[in-house]
Amino acid sequence: MAQVTPFTYRQGKSILHLLDVRCKFFIICLLSMSLLPAHFLACFFYGFILFFFFKNAGLNILSTLNHIKYFILLLFFIFIARALTMKGDIIFSFYDLSITVQGLNEGFLVSFKFFLVMLTGVIFSSTTKPSSVKSAVQWFLKPVPFVPEKRVAIMISLALSFMPVILNQAREISEAQKARCADLQKNPVKKIIRLVLPLLKKTFLSADYLVLAMESRCYSDDRTDPEFIPSGKEFYFLAASVLLSLGFAWL
Amino acid sequence: MNNSNQLKMTVYTSLFVALIAIGAFIVIPIGPVPIVLQNMFVLLAGILLGPVWGLTCVAIYLLIGFAGLPVFAGGTSGIGKLFGPTGGYLLGYLPAVFVTASISKGLGKKMSSDIIAMMIGSLIVYAAGVPWLKIVTSMTYEKALAVGMYPFLIGDALKIIAAAFIAKTLRPVIKL
Repeated sequence: MAQVTPFTYRQGKSILHLLDVRCKFFIICLLSMSLLPAHFLACFFYGFILFFFFKNAGLNILSTLNHIKYFILLLFFIFIARALTMKGDIIFSFYDLSITVQGLNEGFLVSFKFFLVMLTGVIFSSTTKPSSVKSAVQWFLKPVPFVPEKRVAIMISLALSFMPVILNQAREISEAQKARCADLQKNPVKKIIRLVLPLLKKTFLSADYLVLAMESRCYSDDRTDPEFIPSGKEFYFLAASVLLSLGFAWL
Repeated sequence: MNNSNQLKMTVYTSLFVALIAIGAFIVIPIGPVPIVLQNMFVLLAGILLGPVWGLTCVAIYLLIGFAGLPVFAGGTSGIGKLFGPTGGYLLGYLPAVFVTASISKGLGKKMSSDIIAMMIGSLIVYAAGVPWLKIVTSMTYEKALAVGMYPFLIGDALKIIAAAFIAKTLRPVIKL
């Protein structure tokens, strides 16, 4: 999984690594949402803060930008679309298309906001263990009626442990088929079936074994709740993020 | 549903959550636009798991993605993704999987009914995704359709045919 998703957890002891996951989750939701109606100044200010925490968490900015290059391309399309469709003072016109000052401003602002929100997500997933995310989801779901939060938590754990297994199996099957000249197959439907069918059969088989193993160990939903270890700096971070989001609204 | 069956469905549902998450990385090189299998696994989850477990599966996938695990396309995550240009497609998976599963179940889990169910499911994903894309990017409907729907239709048709075959072969194996 680590080879495929660049934003998986990175070991570290930065402030963000040690912060309680529930606090981090709340801050991310708050800041992501308050950033959407924000203006230029607020976005640049938030960008500087993100940059600081990026460095502080020991993340490589260039490699992250390289990994999200397709997302950046999509943002570029959004920028172009906004620049061309917004009415205002025309600075360049070609046939029916005209680029306006307001369009450029608006396009840049919207793309920049999405970019910042995306980077916030990257920082969160790079500094938070998947098991902590699972615990936080369980904690947040506890007051929600009709949702068995413990079962949801176990499903998340299982899904996380299945992911590398399935990816490895997909690679194995793909290599085995290449070795048997499956690349020469022209029919696209057959190509899909020949990869997916053995993959699903294999993973369902391992799921069956897992069900047996869980049953034989008397698995039940009645499990111990996860423990959270706060770093002691949660209050300051929460207060700062609330102030920041109020500041975004004001700016 | 007894405990054993419930446990089995819990594990199978988790398995499909994992499949949907990694579906974005399993690429089949066909033609100029390579095919990724994520939406096929969403539709297959509906066909194989049924309406309730299929919906649970997609809800958990979205939940862990919005909570910050990098399970969305390109290894992305976070609540911000919901407000992004592709948020509509992600939310569209919820009604799509439910409707696909309900139609497939209602029509008797035959191959032809699976194909009809998955076609409707795919259309629901686009019905949620394209207007969202249009609003976020301020494009016209023509442009949003040209960017967010037309290029993927042929791939979707191939995936639906393949998924119908796969569902037919897998049903007796996994005995759901």
